[in-house]
Amino acid sequence: MRPEIKEYNYDRILGQTLSAAARFPAGSDKETELTYRYIPYFKGVLKPLIDTGVPGKIFLELLALYYENILTAHARGKKICGTTFCYSPAILYAMDIVPATFEILTALGGMVWKRGMFDYMDFCCEVGMPETSCSSQRGFLGAFLAGLCEEVDFLVCDSPGVCDTNANAYAFSSAYLNKPFYQLNYPSSIGDERSQKYHVDDYKEMIRFMEEQSGNRLDYDRLAEILKEVDLQDHLTADLEDLLMLVPSPLPPLYNLMIYAGRFCFSGQKIYTRVLEAMLKWGKNRAKTGLSGLRSGDEKLRIFTCYIDHYTVNLNFWNYLEDRNFGHLGCILSRNFRDDNKYVKNLPGSAYGIDLSTKDAMLDSMAQLNARMPMVRTIRGPYDKPGMWLDESLELVRFFQADCVIYNGTPGCRNTWGMVKPFARDMEKNGYPTHIMNDDAFDDRVESWEATKERLDEFFQVRGLL
Amino acid sequence: MNIVAGCDVGSLTSKAVIMKNGKIIGHHIIKSKPRPKDSADAVLEKVLSLAGISKNDINYCIGTGYGRDRIDFVDEVVSEISCHGKGAHWLLPTAQTVIDIGGQDCKTMKIDKDGNVKRFMANDKCASGTGRFLEVMAKVLGISIDELGNLSKKSRSPITLASTCTVWAQADVIKYINSGVPIEDIGAGVNTAMAGRVAILVNAVKPEGDIFMTGGVAKNVGVVSTLEKLIGKRIKKVRKADPQIAGAIGAALLSMEKVNGKIAA
Amino acid sequence: MDIFYDAATKVKCESILNWKKSGKPVVGYTCSYAPPEIFHAAGILPVRLRGIETDGTDIADAYFGPFICSFPKCILQLAGKGMFDFLDGAVITPGCDSMRRIDECWRKAGEDHDGIVPPFFYYFDVPHKSEAHGMRWFKNELKLMIKAIETHFDVKITHKGILAAIKKFNIGRRMLKEIETMRWAKDVVVSGTDVFTATIAGAVMPRDEYNQHLKQWLSGLRRRKKSLSKNKIRLMLAGSASDEINLIRLLEENTGAIVVAENICFGIRAEGNEIDEKGDPIDNLAKHYMDQSVCPRMYGKYKERLTSIKERIDRARVDGVVMQNIRFCDLHGAENSLYERDLEAAGIPCLKLEREYGPRADSGRMKLRINAFLERIDAKSNQKSTEPLSVSA
Repeated sequence: MRPEIKEYNYDRILGQTLSAAARFPAGSDKETELTYRYIPYFKGVLKPLIDTGVPGKIFLELLALYYENILTAHARGKKICGTTFCYSPAILYAMDIVPATFEILTALGGMVWKRGMFDYMDFCCEVGMPETSCSSQRGFLGAFLAGLCEEVDFLVCDSPGVCDTNANAYAFSSAYLNKPFYQLNYPSSIGDERSQKYHVDDYKEMIRFMEEQSGNRLDYDRLAEILKEVDLQDHLTADLEDLLMLVPSPLPPLYNLMIYAGRFCFSGQKIYTRVLEAMLKWGKNRAKTGLSGLRSGDEKLRIFTCYIDHYTVNLNFWNYLEDRNFGHLGCILSRNFRDDNKYVKNLPGSAYGIDLSTKDAMLDSMAQLNARMPMVRTIRGPYDKPGMWLDESLELVRFFQADCVIYNGTPGCRNTWGMVKPFARDMEKNGYPTHIMNDDAFDDRVESWEATKERLDEFFQVRGLL
Repeated sequence: MNIVAGCDVGSLTSKAVIMKNGKIIGHHIIKSKPRPKDSADAVLEKVLSLAGISKNDINYCIGTGYGRDRIDFVDEVVSEISCHGKGAHWLLPTAQTVIDIGGQDCKTMKIDKDGNVKRFMANDKCASGTGRFLEVMAKVLGISIDELGNLSKKSRSPITLASTCTVWAQADVIKYINSGVPIEDIGAGVNTAMAGRVAILVNAVKPEGDIFMTGGVAKNVGVVSTLEKLIGKRIKKVRKADPQIAGAIGAALLSMEKVNGKIAA
Repeated sequence: MDIFYDAATKVKCESILNWKKSGKPVVGYTCSYAPPEIFHAAGILPVRLRGIETDGTDIADAYFGPFICSFPKCILQLAGKGMFDFLDGAVITPGCDSMRRIDECWRKAGEDHDGIVPPFFYYFDVPHKSEAHGMRWFKNELKLMIKAIETHFDVKITHKGILAAIKKFNIGRRMLKEIETMRWAKDVVVSGTDVFTATIAGAVMPRDEYNQHLKQWLSGLRRRKKSLSKNKIRLMLAGSASDEINLIRLLEENTGAIVVAENICFGIRAEGNEIDEKGDPIDNLAKHYMDQSVCPRMYGKYKERLTSIKERIDRARVDGVVMQNIRFCDLHGAENSLYERDLEAAGIPCLKLEREYGPRADSGRMKLRINAFLERIDAKSNQKSTEPLSVSA
């Protein structure tokens, strides 16, 4: 790693940037436009967010708060838990522990900084992680391994059984830095009694581990409050999804990112509710006009990304969607699989409910919710088994009336790379043109954005989608 | 008379060095031929004539490099990692860390006070981060490898190149050329990508003391200066001999040790 | 040794073909976490699935994506070519993400290539943890698999039968352990290549036949006097799964080195320990297979594995460890780096190698690194003994 990068903490720099960004929209439109000229690099991310109106503004506050929580955690006597995006942080909030989610922290740096997270990613390789391991963790992980962030006190991941490369990043850092580590492990099945019980047994063990690490007992009153908020957020998300099902969809592509990023950062916290409410309000108004949520108002194509989205510098992918007038119907990260969602009806065992009646019921709700987090739910088993990736994707493309399917990931996604070709073939058989992107969602050095864009354009053209 | 030789048959170039009493009396570099044996014979013949001696005058010769097992005139073969360590030590006696970028491989070594390799790391499976990478890119850009090195200085905004795979990088470069990006920005992007790959390897061995670079890429100022930035340390340069022949020098030095050892025994 | 060599280097080896002639079924499995004892108890020949004898991965590449380990690709390639036509069943295990997807890829390849999917095709879900609930899950998986085998093959698997199988496998395990002990001696009388060959043969041969030949070979070894390790560098091979004799041969044919230990999933690591013969056989199988945490797929157990590898290094007087990982094997790739850090700190030279399995293996590239590694160890030991420097052994 370059010596000058070792001179500052990654999270502090990015936190300061985002906290400035959160105050940014306070000026008049003219002032805002002028200020953009002074922040040529950051503008690429900031402007699209600000352009989404109130939701974008609250979302920026949310991101700033996320960093502030991390940066002030120890001063406030709290412990920081390093964790992963597919792990619900609601339980951490219930236990007064501050989450530091590696993938979120990687994605933000990658989008905001011109050079992306390259230096930090490479640092992981310098200390021995294979370059084939997932870039989504390797970004922030580099800062963590180099000691360039607020100290993470312990690690919890829920990817064993779901994603080796993800789990391996946490296991490696635990061994490398000698940090306490708990792995939530998932079987390849879901919904049956045996799997449900395994979820709960494992989750209870994890609570014991976290109580030991944080010195805090799980406060069930607090958990009840948080679950109530999660319940509200789930229903707001369902309302947003109803809008997304409309043709044209009145929601801007970026709302998808805001829905899941907000959930990964602040599930069960009021600030995330505010983002959802603002998006819903905006979306409902837009729906009345009959226009699409795209800036142009015109939706030429409805895209469903069956895995993750693309997060490199300047929100390239998202701006591409706007430029081409492509509506975005969400990805594997967007859906929460709450039991009263429309799309779960034909996917038995795929959903969770929220039950606040007893302590055990609450714990069970959290355990089952976590077992339905993105990736954890969908790619834990063979893709073509009932309720898994193929069934789920087919159900979603039908509900959201997608025109085509895009697979995007990272070369580290061993688990999906092992099945995406047959998966795509099956999607095609069902009538959905499916494109597999060979890039890295977090690292333009694997395939430059220019090349990625060209391949996307080629797909839409060759398949006659435009 | 103590005359020894070292012959380094690499995948891109073949090098030979003849030393007499610890001094180089002949050295030469040729582009490698399809068959390593032919490369070795050709480069030896040339260097013999430069030194003005015949094959029979050589007391001992060590072969190294990719084609080392197919040279029939050598007394012994040694890996180029050990040879580059020795050669670097001779070129810069204070060197403790050596970076060697060959045609197919990139290695970093830590050497002791005698030039023995204490620890080394070599690149993974991919050709990116090797001399081949630069050669392929220069070809696509329609320039020589030497010209490629100078482009970094002229560039104002180097492109970000797909650098984990040579094939993809090549596709990327073609695309940038077609879209009218200035050649210096593409060239600088190539050098930066190359340096980035090498830097991971260098930082992985935790470089100490004087750092020295061997192999042909050591002459690419674009790669070297970016690499210096990425590792935060200067890479020492010497005028004693061409860093590209360091492997052959090392092989000759090891030959000399062999001869001296025999005499001592 | 010939029969072992045949079994270790041929997919359709004599032993399997002879077994087939008797009309009894054969089931393949993909991971060392699946217990062959259960199949043995059912009168089925358990065969560890391998990827040798492939000359490309064109069939496999149609199903597996580009960023996938070449080992499962080679297994699928063989399946696609009909080389596994002797199989009556296959058991796929989520050993790692690349391996677990053989499940879908094989089934889907079966839609394009007739008759390549064995009639009994089973997914055996091994958890990533051995704590109480993980153990419970694993035992249930064993019971479910037993039931599935019983139903499909119309056989009865009794506790008595499993116990008898455990006892039979233990006989082989004890002999392998003795061979392992021989390699700890200062003067080693057996090459790493031979031991590795014999171990791999055990993963495919019928157990009775294997035990008999192993016994014979062992008694010959006991009589051997000639040291193969004199003035040689003693190596350990560690890392990703490997059943390639050529990998060990590459180390041993090379100047002065002998492989005296392995820490890989086909080697003696898994086969050297006996299974408890007292008590409930399912419990004992679970304990043996689940509790060892020998593979990095068992997350959070690095310290245990480090202790274990250090013990092996000490016992076998290892001079250097060659740690390889197949490209895209992140688990071993990362763990090799941790080992390298900790073992080098303890004064044990380590070489990390990334490689490909099967037809794309690049032995020239590997050889360069191995040579340099041996030269490094050699220079180090020469310095210690203050002898004049010799460049090659």
